[in-house]
Amino acid sequence: MTSTRRTFLVGAAAAGAGSLLVGPGRFGRALAQEAGTLAFAAAGTVTSSWDPSSHTVAPQITAEGFVFSHLTKCPMTPENPAEVLPDLALEWKLIDPHTLEYKLRQGVKFHDGKDFKAEDVKATYEYASQPSRPASAWYPGQVEVEIVDDYTVRLRTEKFGYPALNFWYLSSFLPVLSAADVANPDLLKQRPNGTGAFRYEETRGDQIIFKAYDHYHDGRPKIDTVVWNYVPDANTRVLGLLNGQYHLAERLEPEQYASLKAEAAITTNRGLSSENKYLHFRCNKPPFDDVRVRMAAVHAIDRDQVLAIVGEAGQASNCHLSPVKFGYTDVPNYPKYDPEACQRLLAEAGFPGGQGLPELEYITSVGFYPKTREYGELVTALLQEQGFPVKLTTLEPAAWEERLYRRADGQGPGHIVDVGWITGSPEPDLVLRPNYHSKYALINGIADPEIDAALDKERNAASTEERLKVLQEEALPLLAAKVPSISLFSSVFLRAMSKRLEGVYFYPNGPIDLSKATLG
Amino acid sequence: MAFAFEFFLRRLSQGVVIVVLVAFVIFTLLRVVPGDPIRIILGPMTPASVLEETARALGLRDPILVQFGRFMGEVATGDLGRSFIRGLQGGSAGGSQDVAGYSPESRASVAGLIATALPYSLQLAGLGVAFALLVAFPIGIAAGLRAGRWPDRLGLYASSFFVSLPNIWVAVVLIFLLSAKAGLLPAIGYQGFAYTIIPAMVLAIELSPVMIRAISVAVAANLGEAYYDAGIVRGLSRRTMVARHVLRNAAVPLLNLFGAQMIGMLLGGLFVVEYIFSYPGIGMLTISAVFQRDFPVIQAVAILASGVLVAINMLVDFASTMIDRRLKF
Repeated sequence: MTSTRRTFLVGAAAAGAGSLLVGPGRFGRALAQEAGTLAFAAAGTVTSSWDPSSHTVAPQITAEGFVFSHLTKCPMTPENPAEVLPDLALEWKLIDPHTLEYKLRQGVKFHDGKDFKAEDVKATYEYASQPSRPASAWYPGQVEVEIVDDYTVRLRTEKFGYPALNFWYLSSFLPVLSAADVANPDLLKQRPNGTGAFRYEETRGDQIIFKAYDHYHDGRPKIDTVVWNYVPDANTRVLGLLNGQYHLAERLEPEQYASLKAEAAITTNRGLSSENKYLHFRCNKPPFDDVRVRMAAVHAIDRDQVLAIVGEAGQASNCHLSPVKFGYTDVPNYPKYDPEACQRLLAEAGFPGGQGLPELEYITSVGFYPKTREYGELVTALLQEQGFPVKLTTLEPAAWEERLYRRADGQGPGHIVDVGWITGSPEPDLVLRPNYHSKYALINGIADPEIDAALDKERNAASTEERLKVLQEEALPLLAAKVPSISLFSSVFLRAMSKRLEGVYFYPNGPIDLSKATLG
Repeated sequence: MAFAFEFFLRRLSQGVVIVVLVAFVIFTLLRVVPGDPIRIILGPMTPASVLEETARALGLRDPILVQFGRFMGEVATGDLGRSFIRGLQGGSAGGSQDVAGYSPESRASVAGLIATALPYSLQLAGLGVAFALLVAFPIGIAAGLRAGRWPDRLGLYASSFFVSLPNIWVAVVLIFLLSAKAGLLPAIGYQGFAYTIIPAMVLAIELSPVMIRAISVAVAANLGEAYYDAGIVRGLSRRTMVARHVLRNAAVPLLNLFGAQMIGMLLGGLFVVEYIFSYPGIGMLTISAVFQRDFPVIQAVAILASGVLVAINMLVDFASTMIDRRLKF
């Protein structure tokens, strides 16, 4: 062995220098992206399957929004939440309570070149509504699709026992797949193939590349390429926007949004979402199996103070539905902050001043929704003030999600759980049935025959007018009276983008319409 | 040669024990903290019975010792397993999955993910250490040569200043100043070598205080040794003594410092810095894996990190022993 200090140091220096040469990079690349390329800083990313029926993941629904079209479009504005516009279907009508007919657009092609026809609608609807599909919870049940001709289909629900009207709004949410892909599940998983404004090009690590689709039925988009960058840290998204690496950043914190408002080169966007933030009570175990204790807790919470903490990221609403949902109304009996009522109800339930209540655990997350820890501490203090022995448990999202839903034995951890519920259609049952019908009650475990009856009644209504009436006059007031959960506020999505980006439409559940956008 | 053989045999056997212990601790901790990965793999809407069935099929419900034994058996054959979460293309993913269509083979191999990310981290670490040395050598040597005078105080103040700057804050400030305001350098993600410079600066600021103090102390200590005075008395110039003897003799504690402290600091720094810069290296891979409860990735990175620490310490000790045979191993 003849090594010396000199040879060792020379070798070490060479190894260090060699490591600098790794990678394809070179110094001095411009910060700006290529012309016509939009760099999107996304807070989330997709699953490993591109089959839209395989997941309920919000970021993937946003990604699918670039690639897939739907039969209809619902802009979901607070002014007109029930508005339905044509997309792949040009006309639609209810033939009878169990049959909904769509006339389809002609001359549309999938990204792989296949012509869009009625067979694709049949394959998509019959496949996605199968109870075995992971995303089937979005749909009221199975559906049969009759092909009248190549460009006319009829959705039939009679065999499955619910009205076809339930698909009225859901048709703006279910991405239309190619029948050839549905027949080949492996291909369906590998890449998305739709008729939307952008086609999927490739995935490079945490980047997904979409290219403008030349034959898009509403005209080729002006933006050539969309690069989806998964950037989990909100500060990094903002800094990337400021230095010009990104053109669009989503899910900003209220403070970031406020500071970006002052930037000359940045436009901010504040949009009411289809998400409400809830506190669910575990209703199938003491003490919240008693409606009086639930109502007492709700009367202890001052939602105005909660909103003051949430700031720009929230909007007041007195309803278990978001204002962009069909059926939303300012529910007259929605519980308000009322410490006296709280004390009275606690005493009636046998817990005067909170005495005798077990220790209660309030579970919330940090790092996904804005300000959950901050308002969690406030709500805990408000409940403690009225005598509820509450302990706040703050968990990072993966651990929180693991504790969120009820388990095999029907019980869920803790007593109060904070969660947001976001869905991409005005359809109210996407919120109401999974959360409040005893068949599901995924989080709170409520089993109340009156609530079940009201939810079944609104679902089975023969017309939208009748359904609206049942929702607003029966189902929603009943939920406000029984409070299996309390909706604290409606979420507002905070985004920011380069001033050069114009003509973007943001859907309230996340998807972004860039088909008419320009990047000056 | 016999010395080298004996050295590596003994240290390798010790190193394997350390790596296995670290692997066991990480493996156990991952399974006792809240957060069941099966709910992330299959999604919140999946029926509880299916969750349990798949968890059993994946071996997630076996006793921890059984799981650990199986895992180490696979590692011994060079198989680090497959990610619970990431698809074959390596894209980070989470949330609901298709239960019927789920198979571990549809997920990325952990070894592949690490092989893709490692070169980026090596590049960042190499540049960070180089920057740190560029700062620490002149300040540290000057401080050591003039102990008690202003260069010494400069070294003390500089290292105290750097050590009190949180790397998260430094990262955000440097991105804001150098990238967002001045437009000199890109900062987020990786599309070329220039994307490594600002993150490397942050790493250098974190590493340099320890280097400055170690260099100045080692140099000052050698100046106080008898051999230094003897050299001067025998007519060697101060410059020659410093360049040829003091710096060489000061190298041993520096090497030890590099093995014992710097690699640990570097690994910790990489995790934070890569996350803030969305830099696609091992740190980013690991942080994402922790958030997503991607056990196979976390375990593999922990084994890799402890293996690297053991190996570096072994090499440093070997080099030190080669430099100064009086040292024991």
